Amino acid sequence: MAHIVMRDVQKRFGNVEVIPGASLEIKDNEFVVFVGPSGCGKSTLLRLLAGLEDLTAGAIEIDGERVDHLSPSRRGLAMVFQSYALYPHMTVRENMSYALRVARTPKAEVEAKVREAAEILQLTEYLDRKPKALSGGQRQRVAIGRAIVRDPKVFLFDEPLSNLDAKLRVQMRIEITKLHRRLKATMIYVTHDQIEAMTMADKIVVLNEGRIEQMGAPLDLYNDPDNKFVAGFIGSPAMNFFDGTVTARDDAALTVELSDKTKVVYPCANPGQAGVGDAVTLGVRPENFHFDGGDEPAIKGEVYAVERLGGETYLYLQSTAGHETVVHAVGDHEVAVGDQVAVNFNPARNHLFDPQGRTIR
Amino acid sequence: MTAMTDADFRRAIRARTLRRNLWLAFLLLPPMAVMFIFIFLPMGSAVLYSVYEWDGLVRGDFVGLENFREVLFEPQKSKFLFNAFKNNVIVFVSVMVVQNGLALVLAMLLAREPKGYRFYQVVFFLPVILSTVIIGFQWKLFLNPVFGLVNNLLRAAGLDSWALPWLGLPETALPSMILVNAWHWVGFPTLVFLAAIHRIPKDYIEAARLDGASEWRIARDIIWPLMAPAVTIIVVLTFIGAFNWFEIPYVMNGLEGAPGYSTDMLGLLFYRTAFGSISATDSDFGAGSALAVLIFLFIFTVSLIFTRLLTAREIELA
Amino acid sequence: MNKRHTFTAKAVLAGAAMMVGSSAVAQTELDFWSWRQEDVAAYNEIIAAFEETHPDIKVTYTAHPATEYNTIIATALAAGEGPDIIHTRSYGGLEVLAKPGYLEPLDEQVDMSLIGDVAKIGTTLRADGHVYAVPFASQTVLVFYNTDIFAAHGLTPPETWDEFKAVATQLKEAGVIPLANGSAEGWMLEIMSGALLPNFYGSEFFGEVTSGATDFEDPRFVGALEKMAELKEFMPDGYQGVDYATMKQLFASGAAAMFVGGSFEIPGFRDAGVNFDIIAGPAAEAGGERMVATWLDGGYGVNAASENKEAALEFARFTASQEFGQMLTDKLGNISPIEGAVSSDPTLAKISELQGASTPYIMLVAYRFNTPTGSTLIQNGLQEMFAGSKTPAEVAHDVSEGIKASE
Repeated sequence: MAHIVMRDVQKRFGNVEVIPGASLEIKDNEFVVFVGPSGCGKSTLLRLLAGLEDLTAGAIEIDGERVDHLSPSRRGLAMVFQSYALYPHMTVRENMSYALRVARTPKAEVEAKVREAAEILQLTEYLDRKPKALSGGQRQRVAIGRAIVRDPKVFLFDEPLSNLDAKLRVQMRIEITKLHRRLKATMIYVTHDQIEAMTMADKIVVLNEGRIEQMGAPLDLYNDPDNKFVAGFIGSPAMNFFDGTVTARDDAALTVELSDKTKVVYPCANPGQAGVGDAVTLGVRPENFHFDGGDEPAIKGEVYAVERLGGETYLYLQSTAGHETVVHAVGDHEVAVGDQVAVNFNPARNHLFDPQGRTIR
Repeated sequence: MTAMTDADFRRAIRARTLRRNLWLAFLLLPPMAVMFIFIFLPMGSAVLYSVYEWDGLVRGDFVGLENFREVLFEPQKSKFLFNAFKNNVIVFVSVMVVQNGLALVLAMLLAREPKGYRFYQVVFFLPVILSTVIIGFQWKLFLNPVFGLVNNLLRAAGLDSWALPWLGLPETALPSMILVNAWHWVGFPTLVFLAAIHRIPKDYIEAARLDGASEWRIARDIIWPLMAPAVTIIVVLTFIGAFNWFEIPYVMNGLEGAPGYSTDMLGLLFYRTAFGSISATDSDFGAGSALAVLIFLFIFTVSLIFTRLLTAREIELA
Repeated sequence: MNKRHTFTAKAVLAGAAMMVGSSAVAQTELDFWSWRQEDVAAYNEIIAAFEETHPDIKVTYTAHPATEYNTIIATALAAGEGPDIIHTRSYGGLEVLAKPGYLEPLDEQVDMSLIGDVAKIGTTLRADGHVYAVPFASQTVLVFYNTDIFAAHGLTPPETWDEFKAVATQLKEAGVIPLANGSAEGWMLEIMSGALLPNFYGSEFFGEVTSGATDFEDPRFVGALEKMAELKEFMPDGYQGVDYATMKQLFASGAAAMFVGGSFEIPGFRDAGVNFDIIAGPAAEAGGERMVATWLDGGYGVNAASENKEAALEFARFTASQEFGQMLTDKLGNISPIEGAVSSDPTLAKISELQGASTPYIMLVAYRFNTPTGSTLIQNGLQEMFAGSKTPAEVAHDVSEGIKASE
């Protein structure tokens, strides 16, 4: 039940402009992930929304009402901190009930809500423990429980899984997603991990240097990134980039020559975005390479590392096009370090970026 | 390089252990020697002195616990002990409330880093580095009933009836000194509390703010319990300081705790009993040493109890 | 000291052996310790006079800080060291040194016939009745008055209690603080009581109370305290907080017209340039006794462990001579207890004259030997009386009980 609008939100710390201006809209019930490298302003944006930082300029509305002048607690939000921020001197029960007690909620109601949240999160038997006596995953769940009991309109998560080991991370990812479905609340989730973003989000907001690079559904961002930054950030292993020069242009395609003279014909709707002689970048996802041969263009190079996992194979090439190239092939391939290989790719499924880094569509 | 046998390895390990122990001994011996000479030796001799009769500085007969009996149970002597003890208790409680309470408020305010807080931090701490004797003397002048600054200001403000002889009345002398002490020392607990508050991760406070806690609730429910270690230190130091209080009352109202022993302290009583005061008494080392032993035992025991009790409520910051 | 002396003696002996027949005289070096730092120059002059008649003795005067002197001298003596000649305190302060046997009994070795018995009480050990130091100076409690202020207001020095209060009332109405004394420091209250109480409790009281015939709850003593309490209204505003330094400043600056204090204040007031004169405390009524309380400040003792005892005794004999008494009076302005030492200074001469009717400064002279001391009791009691927390009768009771408990 929360529809959030941020309108040209700006934040400056002293002379440092952290958010030069960001506008976005979050629909009710949506699971939105803010993702970007560290220092991109994603946490700041979250903290602005939470009210832990004051706006330098702009406006924030929740359900049509300006909230940027309200204190954090009156915005109807709950937040899960990266450090969990569990009060170390309080038991799990006291931690979870603190907000309710501050709001002078009747005792019976407090107890009921804590029980309910504890059951959802399987914390019932730990209610009388202090945070120190809990494992990382349990602490994480208490932090979420503390948010749940408040029945907030919006849940904010600030890198909540970064302190957990890989296995727990996967498990908690699924739990949070399940929780989202169950609670039907708006959730905003900040992470630097694009896998979390891809797996959990209804909508991803990619941030870079305080700017929103692109917003959209995970696969839209994967398949159709607006620019080189988003293309490189979304997807794992990251997209391979090759420098090239436009050598020819017609109505529906651009011909690009890579540094090793490989010619790639890139079909596109707006070839006018680049001219002959422009320096462009070709982006090829590792999973877009294949060993099927044929007349598709190929990247050639020497294998300097190989990871054969049985179901899939990763090759690391020193390519003749001048870059280290990652190849992700389905199935097992008998390749050894030092082998010279050529991997083909389908130009239509690739991406071409103009000198400004914008996608040529 | 020739191969080393197991025995060679063990010898090498033993040599390494020995070297480390020698190094530890080298580091520990000097401070232990200093402690022995300047702490345990005087403490031991105080105990020894306290069981003898004394003629001035000449040791007389062994009298067992006679000196203790005198200072504790002879009404004309014990009344000074109990009066001084009562005053030390008043000082401890007042300093806890006034000085440390103020320090807590100041620390909470400074922790929010208001404009110019660094300046205030220095200003509050500045008197701490001044000599107690100078501060006592300076405030004695300020509080002089005839030409002191305090009464002149009060008179200038039209509060003539407030212009009291602050250090001369039994009701105001001790409170005045406690305030002077607070003026002198408040910066120290403030700084300790401030450091403790800064040590509390900001997340806790932000989480509480999101939980809807007011500034007061945050201070009470989050900051206060989490600064427990600093509180322990300050309570114990205040206790020790209060029961060893000497310089301010000595400089401001003299060895006899004037007026009428209303500012008498255990320290003053000990000093004038052991060493005498020019204007009224001569020295009695036996009774003085007995007092010293009693004061030490009391402070030691209670400090230990305080430390135990208060440490129990300390929380490790995750 | 002893080491230095030994060395000197050896050197002298060696010298004498080599230069047989020369005029070299073997000198004995004496050390003389005191707390009178302000008197160094005068003592050196006095010592020079002694050395002139005793060329074989050399005396070195060393003054220690007054507040630490008791401890310094006691510690040195306890360690078997210390000077040959010791400037001692009196009464209880003397007993601390005499009782353990640090001091040489002098009454059979030094002629003290020029010194009165009252003074000798101060240096007599009560336990054995021997005199352990040659009394050196007495102090007297007096009422100082500012002659300029009295002249300006047409006042004459009061003789009786009623006159004293009348003068004080007149001064107060004229906007002058009648009495500079405050009650912040107990020992100054004791001084004040020394000037004011004796003329009310009378000359018999000291003997009776010290012999046990009466105690401090005696109506004479209670009555005297009641009179003293009447002075509150003539003391400065906030007198409870007026300390010693402030009192002196009030009198020296002319803000207050009178000051009750010891004769030791005279040099300070002279230096301050205030015109003053002295009187004894007022009589209870016209024709009544007008006594001044006096006490002995200290004496000159000889270290019983001195290696130069004979030379030190020779110096002690010198301090009991009329010549010495006169020098003490002339050079230091002290009131010497030695008969025939007369002062050319009119104020000092006047004090000597006032001492004709003297009474012992009671608590120091008689009750400074046990805990709690009479000084402790009276100082505290007077402070409570002036603070209004105890009545004179209650103060007398406390003093009496305290003294009984200490004996």
